[in-house]
Amino acid sequence: MIEPFSFFWLLLRASLLSTGGTGNLPLLHQELTAQGLADDRQFAEALAIGQISPGPSGLWVISLGFLIDGPRGALLALVAIALPPLLVLVVAQLYRRAGDHPAMQGFVRGMMLAVVGAFVPVLINLLWSNGPSAAAFLIALVSVGIGMTRRVPIIVHLGLAALAGIMLM
Amino acid sequence: MADAEPTAMRPVQPPAGLQLLWIWLGLGVQSFGGGTATLFLIRRAVVERHGWLSEAEFTRDWALCQAAPGINLICLTVLVGYRVRGALGIVVAMIGLLLPSVTITALLTGMYASIRDLDMVQSALRGVVPATAGLGLLLSVQMLRPPLTDSCREGRASLILTIALVIATALLVGVARMPVIVALLGAGMIAAIAGWRRARLRPAEPQP
Repeated sequence: MIEPFSFFWLLLRASLLSTGGTGNLPLLHQELTAQGLADDRQFAEALAIGQISPGPSGLWVISLGFLIDGPRGALLALVAIALPPLLVLVVAQLYRRAGDHPAMQGFVRGMMLAVVGAFVPVLINLLWSNGPSAAAFLIALVSVGIGMTRRVPIIVHLGLAALAGIMLM
Repeated sequence: MADAEPTAMRPVQPPAGLQLLWIWLGLGVQSFGGGTATLFLIRRAVVERHGWLSEAEFTRDWALCQAAPGINLICLTVLVGYRVRGALGIVVAMIGLLLPSVTITALLTGMYASIRDLDMVQSALRGVVPATAGLGLLLSVQMLRPPLTDSCREGRASLILTIALVIATALLVGVARMPVIVALLGAGMIAAIAGWRRARLRPAEPQP
């Protein structure tokens, strides 16, 4: 049973402490899997749906909220990702005064680097969510290759992956 | 970079709320191509079609959004909405951009949830999951590129710190199970001190 307030607070915290659409992924992954509220599969599903659906890919959190807690979860996720961007007004003010301060720039950069670092364990979990397998590794590798071309629409990309899953796994 | 303060009432004649809502809804409906395509559409509407912001203002706003919390595109929507029509502009812009895409995302998830236990869906998913891992890897490389380029320019010490922070976070979070928040704030603090010291050692460096 999901406690809506703590779920919302977690979603809000993750969004507040991240910039960009997937910066909140490591924190959400760590806390939700530790509490047994979500598993790797749900994260992968939400990320895939977020890629396919319109709008910023950051809307994957809406999908995650839905998978965990139904429409209510989607609504909580919507509020949680709609509020933090309002702080951009404060950032714009701050930037006018201290945006070029080296400590400020350093802080933002350090957070960005830590997000990338914290991504690594999440990626390994996604890759081997069904135990280590050569086929999964191969699919991931091909996926990187396809992604690098920037030519293949994401829906085709993930469709091919689904086909590979049906045939190989 | 002068005047980054958000000033409302930018355009010659502020458009009516309903008209604004219509424009943003149009952007929301067309946002099927994902983030980059949406940014392209917003820029075209805001700068070229309606002239609410100049090209330079738009670029600066987008840069500010990289440093603000949350989804960059929503930050941009907030900033542009505010500049065009103040608080009302923010509300209208967010509703317009998010209503179509959020509804479709929730509907897609609902549809998916009703078939997710089928055998075929399960095995399809075993292909999709590693593919998203591959996409995530690409995304990390893209996120890493700007700070990596910056620190390369600043010299070897900065580059080593950059790489060390990434590896240390990966190990501390992945192996030692450090809370992600602690890792994020800790890395931010370390890099802030490093940035501040670097600036003090080279005070004559010209501002970018």
